Amino acid sequence: MSGQQRKIRVLMGKPGLCGHDRGIVLVVMALRDAGMEVIYSGRHNSPESLVEAAIQEDVDVLGVSILAGGHLGLCERTAALLRERNAGDIVLLAGGFIPPEDIPKLKALGVREVFRDGAKLGDIVQFIETVARERAAA
Amino acid sequence: MYFEKLKTAEEDWKERHREEISQAEATGAACEDGIPLKVLYTPPDAGADACADTGFPGDFPFTRGNDAAGYRKKLWTISHYAGFGSPRETNVLFRRMIDHGGVPPYMALDLPTQLGLDPDHPMARGEVGMAGTSVASLRDWETIFDGINLEDTFVGTVINAPAAVFLALHVVLAQKQGADLKKIRGNLQNDILKEFTARGNFIFPVGPSLRLVTDTLEYCAQHLPAYWPLNVCGGHFPEAGANRVHEVAFAFADAFTYVEDAVRRGVGIDSFGKGIFFLMKTNHTDLFEEVAKFRVMRRMWATRLRDRYGAKDPETMKCRILAHSGGSLLTRERPELNIARTTLACAAGVLGGVQLIGLRTMDEVFGIPTEKSELIAIGTQHVVAYETGLPDVVDPLGGSYYVEALTAEFERRVLEELDRIERMGGMVKAIESGYVRTAIADDSYRTQRAWETGKKVKVGVNKFRIEENEPPRRPYAYQPEEEQRQVAAVEQLRRERDNAAVGKALERVVEVARRPAASENNLMPAIIEAVRSYATVGEICGALRQVFGEYTEPTRF
Repeated sequence: MSGQQRKIRVLMGKPGLCGHDRGIVLVVMALRDAGMEVIYSGRHNSPESLVEAAIQEDVDVLGVSILAGGHLGLCERTAALLRERNAGDIVLLAGGFIPPEDIPKLKALGVREVFRDGAKLGDIVQFIETVARERAAA
Repeated sequence: MYFEKLKTAEEDWKERHREEISQAEATGAACEDGIPLKVLYTPPDAGADACADTGFPGDFPFTRGNDAAGYRKKLWTISHYAGFGSPRETNVLFRRMIDHGGVPPYMALDLPTQLGLDPDHPMARGEVGMAGTSVASLRDWETIFDGINLEDTFVGTVINAPAAVFLALHVVLAQKQGADLKKIRGNLQNDILKEFTARGNFIFPVGPSLRLVTDTLEYCAQHLPAYWPLNVCGGHFPEAGANRVHEVAFAFADAFTYVEDAVRRGVGIDSFGKGIFFLMKTNHTDLFEEVAKFRVMRRMWATRLRDRYGAKDPETMKCRILAHSGGSLLTRERPELNIARTTLACAAGVLGGVQLIGLRTMDEVFGIPTEKSELIAIGTQHVVAYETGLPDVVDPLGGSYYVEALTAEFERRVLEELDRIERMGGMVKAIESGYVRTAIADDSYRTQRAWETGKKVKVGVNKFRIEENEPPRRPYAYQPEEEQRQVAAVEQLRRERDNAAVGKALERVVEVARRPAASENNLMPAIIEAVRSYATVGEICGALRQVFGEYTEPTRF
């Protein structure tokens, strides 16, 4: 890649019916301030529509936020759809109200990293910058 | 003359302690919403007419309280919040609570129900029975209230977008029980505007959503005078990140929108105003401003209702406040300190003279609260109520130079924000343009930054940290069989009911919805008949979706 570098592209999405979006909106603002191209899906999305949007928008990272307890099922479907659509290289991240014992389960399903409520915005920004660089180099 | 003398005395005092005071002032203490704080407050800060302006409790404008004798007349209601499983389990719980002389708590409904989706809808997968009870039709309502006399029971329902359908469920079941509708007591949350800006459980666009609220207010004014059809929620704004000025300004802007829509339709303010309650936060942060907030709310609400909407009955003008402590201020680190936080939050509510208090449990940040922590949350209120003496005197902070000054400044800032919204063309415009969401997001981002940089202290998190393991907690009670049971039940219902009658009733809903909002086109009668035919919540909301469409939220920040 010569000259200007491609900006990191991120889709932040809320799959399922949970309406809590204080956390995801904060992440959207922090990624924007870190110079990334961020798209926010708004609420009430199906995993199908999020994966479709992630592919259409050619993103590096798809971050999903779930606070109503449905994270295992919703992440499983999202990860499976990404693989089915040959988009398994899009980095899947999950955040929200997630009990610690579910973190290894989510990682086994294909979620690269989990940021529970209380995570620092700075840490999330740094993590995304790192994985996006790795992805660009691959 | 008196004030001038005081001012000179204050100047002299400042001069004597110049170094100390200027050092303190350099720290720039302020409330979270930016109200700057002096080191000391004196009579001129409270205003020349503070005493005359605030008046007496039980009298207009109710700054000092709704009742002349305050909590000596009636203690605040010590509330708690509980979760539920299936309609059958909910019924067992309700009956047990009634047998023990209590009142059933507010009913929580699962997300598919709150969004008007039946249990077998594809988007409902994995969420049926999860955040509350799943209610798909009158049949579930009959199960929940099996053996319970609605005429004797206050039923609170936390429902917003499909609130009209839930009012219809209650009306039909009451009629089937042979009850007198005039005696039916209960409460709907029914505050759809805050769903667009904070809570997120919306279905229809803003305009038609507002029409549904007005239809319920009008219907209750005519047929269910003892029922409270609206809780205006301010507390969801701070939970979404808003500061305190925005909490009150947005709650009032929402409330005024409902009132104006109903009054415009010709529903008299005194026929429905008493059924409006405010659901707010009571928090320990900026504690004195919290007290000022409750005082300001009473004064502003009474003044507006009397002067702008023509309320004549003082009972209509009273701002009734139900206050819960905020979950978002609790920490997972050193969780026992959450008890200290909620104790102070409780004190703030009591000093502010609210009508009901509910405290979050110390372990809610980990999941479903344990029974022990629930008892601590209720016991905390008992300590405040019976050991501290806080309830003995009405408005105990009234007359404090500091609190009176805060009250005046807080009111000024809320009025300024309300003016801004009015200049935008009203709250509906402010929501649709994305203004409200952006304002909340900006507040939230500022607070988050202050926590991350340590500018704002969170004990146990960014200061005074102690490394420790997470405590044991109650596992999620979710069972996938419950979802399958509810799916099977709704499929069975569709086989057993008179589907021709259902179709006709739903067509009628569509027909009325197509006509413009007006008293003669109130949707309640058509929705009631649809409910009676056992049309499902999803089908009735589906009929309305067909006409109204769905809301698309602004997503730029």
